[in-house]
Order: sequence, then C-alpha cells, then structure tokens
Amino acid sequence: MADMEKLAEERKKRYLAAMNLEKPDRVPIRLNFSGEFITKVSGYSFQETYYDWEKNVDATRKMLDRLDLEMVVGAANLWWATLHDAVGAKYLRFAGRDLDEETMFQYVEEPYMLPEDYDDFIANPTEWIATTYLPRIHTDLAEPGSYRASAALIKGAFGLAQQFAAGGEATASYLRDYGVIPSIVGISKAPFDTLADTLRGLSGIMLDLYQRPEKVKEALEVLVPHNIFYGMATAQGDTDFPLFMPLHRGAYPFMKMEQWEQFYWPTLKQVIEGLWSYGKRTMFYAENIWTPYLEKIAELPEKSIIFHVDQTDMDKAFEVLGGRFCLSGNVPNSLLAFGTAEEVKDYVKRLLDKYARDGGFILDAGAVILDDAKEENIRALIEAGIEYGVY
Amino acid sequence: MSRELTFKNMPPGVCVPWEAKEKELGEIKGDAGLIREQWEKLDLFGYLYLWNWVQR
Repeated sequence: MADMEKLAEERKKRYLAAMNLEKPDRVPIRLNFSGEFITKVSGYSFQETYYDWEKNVDATRKMLDRLDLEMVVGAANLWWATLHDAVGAKYLRFAGRDLDEETMFQYVEEPYMLPEDYDDFIANPTEWIATTYLPRIHTDLAEPGSYRASAALIKGAFGLAQQFAAGGEATASYLRDYGVIPSIVGISKAPFDTLADTLRGLSGIMLDLYQRPEKVKEALEVLVPHNIFYGMATAQGDTDFPLFMPLHRGAYPFMKMEQWEQFYWPTLKQVIEGLWSYGKRTMFYAENIWTPYLEKIAELPEKSIIFHVDQTDMDKAFEVLGGRFCLSGNVPNSLLAFGTAEEVKDYVKRLLDKYARDGGFILDAGAVILDDAKEENIRALIEAGIEYGVY
Repeated sequence: MSRELTFKNMPPGVCVPWEAKEKELGEIKGDAGLIREQWEKLDLFGYLYLWNWVQR
C-alpha cells in the first residue's frame, strides 16, 4: 500500500514536470486506450463491459495486471449501455443489442437540433436540452409527463449518479492497488464541437456556416461559460491533472482557414483561457491534422495546454509550439495495429531522440488506441519509453 | 422564439435558480443559507445530468 502510494507520487511528479516543460527523471508514458482495447486485453466480450459496470471496472484491472502502465483514464468504457437503454437512446448502437457481441459501439449522427431550435437554445440552452433535446433523442422520454418518461428520467439520473460514483471508486482503487495515476481529470469540449457533434451534426453545421452564420456565432458564445463550467465541475475542482478536450471538427480540412478563424478558434480559445484562469490545464487532443493552425494555437498562454499530436506535422509542431507547451503523442496508431514490435521501438527511439531531449514531452499514441492495436506493440512502446526516455 | 421559456439568462450550473424556489417557499423559519446551499448542490447535479447528454 505504502509502496503503491510512493509509486503514484513518483509518477505524478514525472507527469507534472513534463507538463510544466521541465525534465523529469524520464519521459512519462500516457496511453489513451479505448474501452474496446481494454476489453480485448481483459478477455471480456464488448457486450459484457458495455453492459456490466463491474466488469467494465474489472477490465481495466485485468489490463493493469498485464501491462506496466503509469496512468489510466479510468474504467474501460465511458458509456454504460444500460443507462442508454433506460432512456431509449436513439443515437447509440451497442454490442449484444443491435450489434454482434464483439462490435464496437456506433454513434448514429443526425441533426438532432433543428435550425429552428437556435433561438430557444441561445435563450436558455439548459432548458432547451431538458424540454426539447432529451425527448427528441430518447424514445422513453418522447412524451414528457407520461409514466414511461417519468420512469426513464428517474432511472437515467439515478444511473448516471451510480456511474459517477463507481467511476470515482474505480480510479481510487487503481491508484491504491497499482500506483497508477489518472491521466485526465475532467472533460469539456470546444464550443463548436459541442454544437457540431451531438446537436447539429456535421451535415447540419456545415449548412449553418453558410445559411445562418450569425446564429452559429451566437450559440457558440452562449456555450463558452457552460463549457468552462462543465470542465471545472467534471474535474471537481482538480487543477493538478489535465482536462481532456477531444477536438473533432476543428481538424484540417473540415473548414477553410477563414471559417476556422471565425467559427472554431475564438470560442475554443476563450474556453481554454477560462479554464486556465482557474489553474486548469487542457489536454488539447488534436485528433487528425492541425498543422495549418499551429501559429494561432501558439497564442494561448504558456503551459495552458498539452498539445497532443496525432497526424499534425511533428517537426512543425515542435518548431512552433515546443518550449511553450508540453507536446505528446505521435506514435502512429497504424503502426501499433499493423507494424512489428521492432518497428514500434525504432519509431519511439527516433521520436524521443528528436523531440523529447529538452523535456516537456509525454509519450503516447497519436489517437485513442483501438482494439486493432497489438498488445505486443503496446509492450514494445512502453519498453522503448522506459529504455530511451531517461534524461 | 418558438415557446415561452421558464427562465432566461440562466448561468451555468443552474437548472432552477434558488431565487425562484425561495419565492415559492415563502417565509423560511430556520437557516435559509443551509437550505439554499443544499438546493444548489442538488440543482448542480441536475445541470450536469442534462449537459452530460450534450458534452460527449
């Protein structure tokens, strides 16, 4: 127990040093595994960990028994399928229900927010979510006031409370039993992604940029304080560990540069600066390519983000952002899936030699590690990080 | 605007503002601060529940 606490302290010290652009004893290794990868390693079926929260928590433990990890996100899957069944979620398909037992969940994207909803959303988004959005996206809530809707609301809220509590207990148990620290605490999004992911969807938002650009801008401004608040609330006030911000529609080339500058960037910057004003650092999880936007990103306050590199030009990211923000990532997911252990080790060595020499670097895959990654390649990545990442 | 809103200009973290509930309660005989504090804590959970379906 005391050994695990000491180990966790060492790992936290290493992680914090890298985020603060210092040189720790060696490069920290943070791997952002999907629930599906964890499930595969654990031996459970996808259906089991989607539906049985205890197995979902246990899957991460089984992975920790097999892999020498320093940090984890938490229990395997973010989403508990039963909670979604309780409310009749139209937008998610799960293994064992509408998909076979070993198929990853699917998100059914539709413009669930309609163009005519903008005014109500802008006036009071919380009320709009409760009275319009939830009944629209959940079959059990379709008739507010009905018995089915009342029961679904109760079960949904109770289920989420259960999930929050179990998730917190799981993270504490991983730290206590394995000395692993949380890689992230809290989550939020770019306002444009909040609007474009689950509300308008990609097809809806792309039309809106041309047909109602002023409404889009108003909605984005309304979202800024909510996204800052949501981030701090889900972090429960923590300011040691970074907040996870998966960035979706801002990747190149979803938008032209002038659209990105007008619609995506200003409110994302406000959210990151707002979080930083509370001392909360953002893991800028730049999925896909962000090379054209690096100079704008450099405007953020020093150390306020960890810039995560997926397919962004690593040389350019190092040149523009290195020394200002901690960098992470860049081990290609395709290499983890289709390469050999030797190729992974070679890649990690080159990566660390070139970009980690001055500190301020965290080793990670480019994107969330899916179940196509080979376990032997993950081991190779960890071994190479330990061997070549020493300062 | 397609319909009447119950509340306007709501800050983040709030579903039903304490001020509205306080009016409905009328005279509070004991510690109003305690009632407010606990109201706001649970109201915050309601807020997070609602936004959980959007921030994913």
